Amino acid sequence: MAGFLDSYASTITFMALTGVFAYSFYAVLMAGQLSLAQAGLASAGAFTSSLVVPAAPLFGVIPRLVVGIAVGMAVGAALAFLLGLPVMRLRGVFLAIATLAFGEVVRILLINQSWTGGAQGLSFPKLVGIPEAWLALAVVAYWFWRLGGSRLGRALAAIREDELAAKAMGIDVTRHRMISFVTSGAVAGLYGVLLAYFVRFADPNAFGFSTAVDGLVTAVVGGTTLFIGPLLGSTFLTWLPELQRAIGVEAGWIRPFVSGLLLLLVILFLPGGLAALIPHRRRRAMAHPDAPPDLPPLPAPGTPIASLRAIRKEYGGVHAVRDVDLDIAAGEIVGLIGPNGAGKTTLVNIVSGLVPPSGGEGTVVGIPLGSGVPAHRIALAGVSRTFQQIKLFNRLSALDNVLVGAHRVSRPTLLRRMVLLPSARRDEKRALGQAFAQLTRVGLADRARLPAGDLSYGDQRRLEIARALAAHPTLLILDEPAAGMNHVEAHRLSVLIRALAEDGVTVLLIEHNVRMVLETCTRVVVLDFGEVIAAGDPATIARDPRVVEAYLGAEDDQAEPA
Amino acid sequence: MQQLLNGIFLGSIYALFAIGFTLVFGVLDRLNLAHSAVFSASAFVGIELVARFGLSIWVTLPIIFVFGGLLGLVIERVAFRPLKGRHDAHFAGLISSIALGAMFLALLQAGFGPDTRRFPPDAFPQQRLEFAGAVFSVLQLVIVVVAFALMVGLTLMVSRSRLGRGMRAVAENPHAAAVLGVDVDRVTALTFALSTALGGVAGVLFALNVNSAQISMGSSIELKGLAVIIVGGLGSLPGAMLGGLLVGLAEVFAVTYVGSSWRDVIAFGLLFSILLLRPQGIFGARQVREI
Repeated sequence: MAGFLDSYASTITFMALTGVFAYSFYAVLMAGQLSLAQAGLASAGAFTSSLVVPAAPLFGVIPRLVVGIAVGMAVGAALAFLLGLPVMRLRGVFLAIATLAFGEVVRILLINQSWTGGAQGLSFPKLVGIPEAWLALAVVAYWFWRLGGSRLGRALAAIREDELAAKAMGIDVTRHRMISFVTSGAVAGLYGVLLAYFVRFADPNAFGFSTAVDGLVTAVVGGTTLFIGPLLGSTFLTWLPELQRAIGVEAGWIRPFVSGLLLLLVILFLPGGLAALIPHRRRRAMAHPDAPPDLPPLPAPGTPIASLRAIRKEYGGVHAVRDVDLDIAAGEIVGLIGPNGAGKTTLVNIVSGLVPPSGGEGTVVGIPLGSGVPAHRIALAGVSRTFQQIKLFNRLSALDNVLVGAHRVSRPTLLRRMVLLPSARRDEKRALGQAFAQLTRVGLADRARLPAGDLSYGDQRRLEIARALAAHPTLLILDEPAAGMNHVEAHRLSVLIRALAEDGVTVLLIEHNVRMVLETCTRVVVLDFGEVIAAGDPATIARDPRVVEAYLGAEDDQAEPA
Repeated sequence: MQQLLNGIFLGSIYALFAIGFTLVFGVLDRLNLAHSAVFSASAFVGIELVARFGLSIWVTLPIIFVFGGLLGLVIERVAFRPLKGRHDAHFAGLISSIALGAMFLALLQAGFGPDTRRFPPDAFPQQRLEFAGAVFSVLQLVIVVVAFALMVGLTLMVSRSRLGRGMRAVAENPHAAAVLGVDVDRVTALTFALSTALGGVAGVLFALNVNSAQISMGSSIELKGLAVIIVGGLGSLPGAMLGGLLVGLAEVFAVTYVGSSWRDVIAFGLLFSILLLRPQGIFGARQVREI
């Protein structure tokens, strides 16, 4: 064993360092972002630390390396924050390229400074060996392990799966993306410092594009949805060359070729990375889930929930919604019907804050509508919704989907989970109880473990409702929930909606199935060409000649079953 | 004036590299990071053709065009088609193309060794021309002419031909295109082939311009290529042309007036500011978000 440690000391240390670097990519990838600035951040952290690391332990007690790590992580995090301010609105490839450019600019700036030694590089004292590197890796891995089951971790996964749906569940997407960005920067800074004090030398050119790509490859090969992924990736990629050398493959070109080939095979045949090989650990069976927690009571029937005055929305000359007045009071089930293109979805996007109105005034659950109001604020105030095009977090289990829905009514648990406080566990159980109650409410309790993307179409619709309900909403907006359902299923849905209303939830229901709207709603609003053409109780609406002409007459032929 | 011309020579190569890069992105929404490996491989093979078989540049370039295209077919078949329909196809495509690119480069090293290679000294006419006080070689003129001819040809093809119509249909909506009888797989493969054919020719022209080729030559131009296609607008062919010239000119002038060590800051600074001010690039269409 000792012999092994000695002969492979360098490889074993590198394995830990590569793992740390891969975690800096994992930190952003888990939130669905692709950043390539980490190499630049790492070198900025390393070189800055060289300026401040003292010659002897600080105050006689704080080890020199700790000072270096603290500075390196702070620099990495601060630079990531500064970079994040302008680039946070970019997505996908654009974000990747912007961060790549930033990393390159950092590299070139450092090369042109005298204190970094320029292209000659800089010598560092040897402060890192196997114990330091592995301790650092263990701490980072522990952080991401505890992050996984926390409210923050779920929110990041939700953003990765569907940003818009995450927003509609009350998650502040920009803030969360920034959190993951800054975390990534801090871990990258840590890597830079560890590397420099291990190899005793750093040169800005060593932190270039290919370094960033190596880090990305390590993280992706390991898997970006399970905290163990970066560890697996670094094990694989660190030992692969050693293994080849051990079996006598030495020619200069064979090693990169085989590495490339294996990488290709992993990415083609193991979609979740190496972490996909690990059997899914099932959460303990929930035979007796906690009762749903006591939540604040919903507003008394009759309280105004939403009030719109002359709300308009134009898309480049097209009036999607014009001068709509709409009042919704607590306890109502308001149906919104109208032919295709009547502006129904635009109107509920305005009510839920996803689309700012072009004109008019409105208040929803006490929040004034306008361009400066982010959607998650309205969601946090108590508006929850489903989408016409189903927007679930497909790779998360049904239960996790609903847990994300409970974001609004649960408390942050990450820091308490870090120190294993029992209160964090209690909070998690409360959230689980809330989520399970909603799954039971829509009849999906037995499918809680399945990935949302694997559910049948009708189950996915119901899961979306459960997710929206988990937020304990004052106003629940259902955008065509019965689309694609047969009459039996639609009837069941109607019963469920009326039961929700009896529990005090106010419902705004958009539907094409007119029969269902008439049998479910307490009041119906009819839109046509963006205008309200009729409003009233279902019986009145069913007789209104304008409605029949605009909508029912044409729809009747199709909606009636054969 | 001399700087202006040098900038155009360099820029036209960047543009040719980038136009292939952006073609795949524009049509298929995928970034092919093996593009730079094709660039390097073609430069080496081009040098080999000239040095060993004594072919003239006019024979070499069409051969390289075909060679680059074949590599593109391989890339599409091996690194991209198996990912079709996977939800993480974006990330996975980046990684699989990086992996395949690394394999190409390893094979290149196996075939030609790790050393820098050059064209034989007497391979091309060395005459110098003078224009408005600036001196340049016939070779450089050839580079610009070939680059522009290919770019204009590609642009015309995409806007006029049947294949071009297929490409635009696939870019708009692959499902709808398939329903309308477009063979999506074939169009995809041909898009890749055309893209890398241009990337291959760019590699030979680049090697001609600086008269050397290294295995790593692709990775530095890859960064430039990314800068170019962002500056011009992802997916925009005229944008890639203009972006290539802009980046080439910016580099040459930066070297003259600021110093060579700052050269790349200019290109990436340009890229960064474009991303922040106008993420869709100079010619890019607006991205529409759907709810």
